[in-house]
Amino acid sequence: MLFIIILNSLFFKTRDSTFVQSLFRLNKNSKMRKTLTLVLIGLTLCTYGQNTSVQDTLQISSNQRILNNLAGIPQGITLGGYGEVLYNKPENLNAEIDIQRLVLLFGYKFDERVQFVTEIEFEHVKEVYVEQAFVNYSLTSGLNIRAGLMLVPMGIINEFHEPTIFNGVERPSLDKYIIPTTWREIGIGLSGRLNSISARYQAYLFNGFLSHNGESGLLKGSNGLRSGRQKGAESTMSNVNFAGKFDFYGIRGLRLGLSGYHGKTQAVDGQNEIPGSQVGLSMLGLDGRYTLKKFSARGQYAIASLSDTDLYNELTGRDLGSKLMGYYLEAAYNVLPFINKQRLVGFVRYENYNTHHAVGEFISKNEAFHRKEWTLGFSYHIAPGAVYKMDYQTKSTAIANTTKGQFNMGVGIWF
Amino acid sequence: MKKILFLFILSLSLSAWTPASRSERESKYILKETKKAISSTFKIERFLLEQETILLTSSAFLTEHSIFKINTETDSIGYAIVATAPSKTDSFEYLLLLDSSLSLKKVKVLIYREDYGGEISSKRWLSQFLKSANVDTYVYGDNISAISGATISVKSITASINDVMDSLRTLQSQNKI
Repeated sequence: MLFIIILNSLFFKTRDSTFVQSLFRLNKNSKMRKTLTLVLIGLTLCTYGQNTSVQDTLQISSNQRILNNLAGIPQGITLGGYGEVLYNKPENLNAEIDIQRLVLLFGYKFDERVQFVTEIEFEHVKEVYVEQAFVNYSLTSGLNIRAGLMLVPMGIINEFHEPTIFNGVERPSLDKYIIPTTWREIGIGLSGRLNSISARYQAYLFNGFLSHNGESGLLKGSNGLRSGRQKGAESTMSNVNFAGKFDFYGIRGLRLGLSGYHGKTQAVDGQNEIPGSQVGLSMLGLDGRYTLKKFSARGQYAIASLSDTDLYNELTGRDLGSKLMGYYLEAAYNVLPFINKQRLVGFVRYENYNTHHAVGEFISKNEAFHRKEWTLGFSYHIAPGAVYKMDYQTKSTAIANTTKGQFNMGVGIWF
Repeated sequence: MKKILFLFILSLSLSAWTPASRSERESKYILKETKKAISSTFKIERFLLEQETILLTSSAFLTEHSIFKINTETDSIGYAIVATAPSKTDSFEYLLLLDSSLSLKKVKVLIYREDYGGEISSKRWLSQFLKSANVDTYVYGDNISAISGATISVKSITASINDVMDSLRTLQSQNKI
């Protein structure tokens, strides 16, 4: 242990001027540095190559020539995280106060081409998940190979869900019921950018949803695919699924995304031969984000088409819809001057989504699954990376007189 | 599964072509791209780069840099600055080309190492710095538009270019460049 402490002290000392400052931006914060040293004591246990990284850094520094300009982070650990503490008060019910999620990011850069990224998530304080754990191998500046537990690129929020980058205390409901955020599975694929046409692409082969665990069907009408996420935990695989996304940001202030997913769900061994245990799935997502000075707007549309749902529902007694559809539109305005570091953003969002957009022959549509929501509120960014949020939501379904209100408050961070 | 296996084999094959030292490769790449950009921006073929000994003021957004005077056989026509700025968890190199009166002629991201925020390499987006070249300060969200999903790097390069320009103007007022 003493060796580890000395090693970490050396690590900070030798890298103080470039590595630590640029990585942690903590050049003026000695307390945090001490804390990070303690964290690093723990992390060093699983990064035995630390001693060589110090040597390598020096070696790379001495090798720098021509431009003496590549200090950056030749190797090393990245720390980060995000979290949100929320207060939800539905009409006529008790409020719920919850540390909804606290996610710690750890990255390790083996060299300039190979990087490992992982996010450890604590949900509601007591549930622990691994949200991401993948190795990114940069072949060229425009081509990376990624393998491991990754986010499925579908829509906006599944990939960009840190609380300081979306409005509303809660994430849009579409990104819960139609796109089951945070949707992640184990897979492999390619990602990169095409600078000349201002575009980003991603294409992955993923493991898919689990539709039958041998005892019961997991997919259902109320929340669609959500309960079928395997999240990389002892997951079973019988069918490969494809996911891809193309982002275009060549028009100033505008970013457009087109996402696609195609495949089939999984069933455990012995079950997958039984008709109805697996369903086919194709999903299409369109999203747009626009910013003009203090005004911003975003919208998203997603539709999922499922096959063999009649067989599945017959086998499992479930009420899974054959089409899931949803969209939302949001407009926001920052009332503070640009020169301020703080931002006070008022917003309004309308959502319309339906997990029974279409159903098979043997079940009827449940109108309670066609939901509509209005959200009106503000996000007060007290510093880049820290936000207070407050909003009021009205939630209704296609059934008459079902409107209910909910008041929400929250604090979110991302660093 | 066959597809996955194929991708693994493909990745290994591609990695076998890679030269051993990335840093050396990056240095050569930066120099090559800098020369190429100078040729096309100033429409000259023959020139020499003379590294300035004087340096700009470093900052959180300008962690490293080099200044080169661009000389032709008869004249000095401007400056090339290669600077390093932080992205979310890494750093990136970008190039600024300026004429002798310190008017910005070209901004280019030379090396971006992280997947997150790489949208700032977009040529169209970077051209805003040239269209707003007469202003004293670039302001994120105002004369420099946001890119959804790349906020940290957008703010970083905007602040970094501001730091470079402020420092250059100071040096110029002191007749040091």
